[in-house]
Amino acid sequence: MRMPSLVVTCAALGVLLGMPADVTATNSWPVAEQQQVSDTTYGCLICHAEKRRSFTMGIHSERGIQCHDCHGGNPASFERDVAHRGRFLGSPDKLETIQLCSTCHADAGQMRQYGLPADQLAEFRTSRHGQLLLERGDDNAPTCTDCHDAHTILPSEDARSNVHPTHIAATCARCHEDETLMGGYGIPVNQFSEYRESAHGNAVFEQANFAAPTCTGCHGSHAALPPGVTEIVNVCDKCHVLIGRAFSQGPHASATREGTLPGCLGCHSNHGTERVSPDAIASLCANCHEADSRAALTGMELQEKVVYAVQELVAAETAIAEMLEAGHQVSNERFRYQTALTSFLERAQVHHSLDLDRLEDISLQLRSDTELIKATAESFAEERWEHKLLLVPVWFLTLSAVVFAWFKLREVER
Amino acid sequence: MIKQWLAQFWDDIKSSTDAGLLGVARFVGLLYGPIGRNLRIDEAWRKALRYRLAAHVGWRHALGGITYLLLIVLVVTGVLLSFYYRPSVEEAYPSVQHIVSEVSFGWLIRDLHAWCANLVVIVALAHMARVFFEASYKPPREMNWIVGLALLGVVLAFGATGYLLPWDQWAYWTVTEVLDAVAMIPLVGGLVADAIMGDAIVSGATLSRFFALHVIVLPWITLALLSYHFTLIRRRGIAPPVSTDSGGSKSRLSGMRPEEAQEPGRPFFPNHLLRSFAVAVLTLAIAITLAILFPRPLGDAANPYLLPNELVSTWVPVDVSLALIRFTGLWGLTVFSILGLSLVLLPVFDRRPERALRQRPVAVAFGLIFYVGFAAAWIVGQQIRSVPPSARPQPEIVGEEGSPGAELPLPELGPTPPVPNPEGAGREP
Repeated sequence: MRMPSLVVTCAALGVLLGMPADVTATNSWPVAEQQQVSDTTYGCLICHAEKRRSFTMGIHSERGIQCHDCHGGNPASFERDVAHRGRFLGSPDKLETIQLCSTCHADAGQMRQYGLPADQLAEFRTSRHGQLLLERGDDNAPTCTDCHDAHTILPSEDARSNVHPTHIAATCARCHEDETLMGGYGIPVNQFSEYRESAHGNAVFEQANFAAPTCTGCHGSHAALPPGVTEIVNVCDKCHVLIGRAFSQGPHASATREGTLPGCLGCHSNHGTERVSPDAIASLCANCHEADSRAALTGMELQEKVVYAVQELVAAETAIAEMLEAGHQVSNERFRYQTALTSFLERAQVHHSLDLDRLEDISLQLRSDTELIKATAESFAEERWEHKLLLVPVWFLTLSAVVFAWFKLREVER
Repeated sequence: MIKQWLAQFWDDIKSSTDAGLLGVARFVGLLYGPIGRNLRIDEAWRKALRYRLAAHVGWRHALGGITYLLLIVLVVTGVLLSFYYRPSVEEAYPSVQHIVSEVSFGWLIRDLHAWCANLVVIVALAHMARVFFEASYKPPREMNWIVGLALLGVVLAFGATGYLLPWDQWAYWTVTEVLDAVAMIPLVGGLVADAIMGDAIVSGATLSRFFALHVIVLPWITLALLSYHFTLIRRRGIAPPVSTDSGGSKSRLSGMRPEEAQEPGRPFFPNHLLRSFAVAVLTLAIAITLAILFPRPLGDAANPYLLPNELVSTWVPVDVSLALIRFTGLWGLTVFSILGLSLVLLPVFDRRPERALRQRPVAVAFGLIFYVGFAAAWIVGQQIRSVPPSARPQPEIVGEEGSPGAELPLPELGPTPPVPNPEGAGREP
């Protein structure tokens, strides 16, 4: 599109500069000829047949929108010059695209019937992408169609969509894995590979658990921006409610509020979100706290407790497996193990408050369950061992009988 | 009074020329009382017990008797188990857990049953090997060879049906595998597998069928075959030593002669019976020892929706067929099964009187291949911890027969007019 019409440019600027959208104007805008055109007499398809397939796959086609609703022109004409005459938008550039989409998608009145929000444009203005594109005119920044595709526009619930949870990360990575592109902004390119290995990525890709966040879950979709230092806790808190609550009661919360600690990222990484392994807790504390400080000692005590709890759980699990293999009923033990697991999860939450007294209570609770499982298994194992004692009378009787038979045989055969 | 009674009892026992067994019967009055006079039990006993066994009958002839003893142990322990076992999908597994962990000595009974089921296969095969290599199957004992093989088949069927009953993951998936293998037999396989499965998958219907076969049908078949087996031994006698040709005659060249005939040989009672007693006691002790030291573990409860990570087989034929399928493919199993089945026809073809090993190299070679192959496959099969083959990816089904829909292309999207001018696509001039 080299020569946009004056009307379109004006309208685009109006929207971009934050003027209230003129409802009557947007309603009447793209339709050049208000006439029903049937599929076979639809002029655009004579030349643009290849666009037809991709467009009819999308939701816009499903809702009865046709080429000229966005591109203008005269679809009733079979001649190119006539068809492209009038208010016509061939291939809109990035700014025009935003303006074009916003004519409908920024209009709450129109979006209400589809249950869609109408705040994408407003959100986009606040995003880094929006700042670059709208304020600096940076053509590297994405526009609507870069993520949503120009013609095959699908709702995010559709598994084929670029913005379906399983595809969002790859969609973002199209630019964010491009070193030459990202180099100019000083942004790393390893987010996708880290995310793929993370607990969140594993949940989305392996377990199809779409409650787990993709890129947009933490950064926002249209308002995409990395959260600030003091905001991180609130981002994670959206899902990890109980951990967030415990964290806010602990000593690290005030440091986060003051901005000296990057919240959850103080111990966990952002895109990788790996768990801190139980035996790495103390060394993690030592990163910030001095070796003999009270905080470092607390860290060591924490680590001890976690390692112990994990050992207890593993031991209980093995005990149950052994009992099962020996043919014992283990439903009680399995129930107890679940209780212990619940305590373990509760411990993981309380852990973030660094409240050692409460942790001790929970550890005791966990231990009471695992110890009972282990004791039951031990008593069964002892019982099984006692079975072997039966071998003594069995072989005593057997050998006596054989010896008796032997002597008797010698007697009768003599 | 009691003293007198005991003294008379003791005198009766001492007065008997036989060992204690007849003494008891005599004391109760069965032999000398009015019952004895009418029924002549004493005579019957004498006739049954008073004969001599040929001198060449040795310890190796005990294998058949051990098989019989193990079958008796299996019946006794099986009846005891059936007091507690409940053959339904919901209760089978918990009832086995109950037997093993709560019923007093239930663990011993169950492990004894499982171990004897394995031992009976091994000992029966050894018994068969003795008969085979001594050529005892030759006329006039060819029928007993065939009956013996039928008994082996019944024993294998016992194991196959019994294996499912604990209803744990190993049992469930092993039986699924076995039934899949049965379904692969040409012509009749599918029908047979469907008939004994009774459902689309191994399910409650299969469990009921297997239980009925295991505790009702097969025992009666075994009883009939065993009676015939033993009758034939009595009629045709034990085969003479290998060095003597049977002569192809149907005459009674038996190892058994009446005691009164002053021929060399060992009296059956009490000499032979004492030996049998020693062997039986040792066999029992070994079975109990194995059951105590190596209990059969119980897997997770059967779950048709979950394939186990590994199948642990605790039954000899499963080990053997696993190893054969793994290393020689299905063909290896088929050829081996045919080799085994062809043993049935052995006495039909091999009717010549020669009985020494060197005089019948072909038969001996086939027998060696079968037994060495069986032993090797068994040892190897025990090492295999396999995932069931049905867990492996199945070839994709490309449209069923009779539904041509899968072949048809997608419907066209509709006519699209030809492009008159390839240039100027979507651009304003």
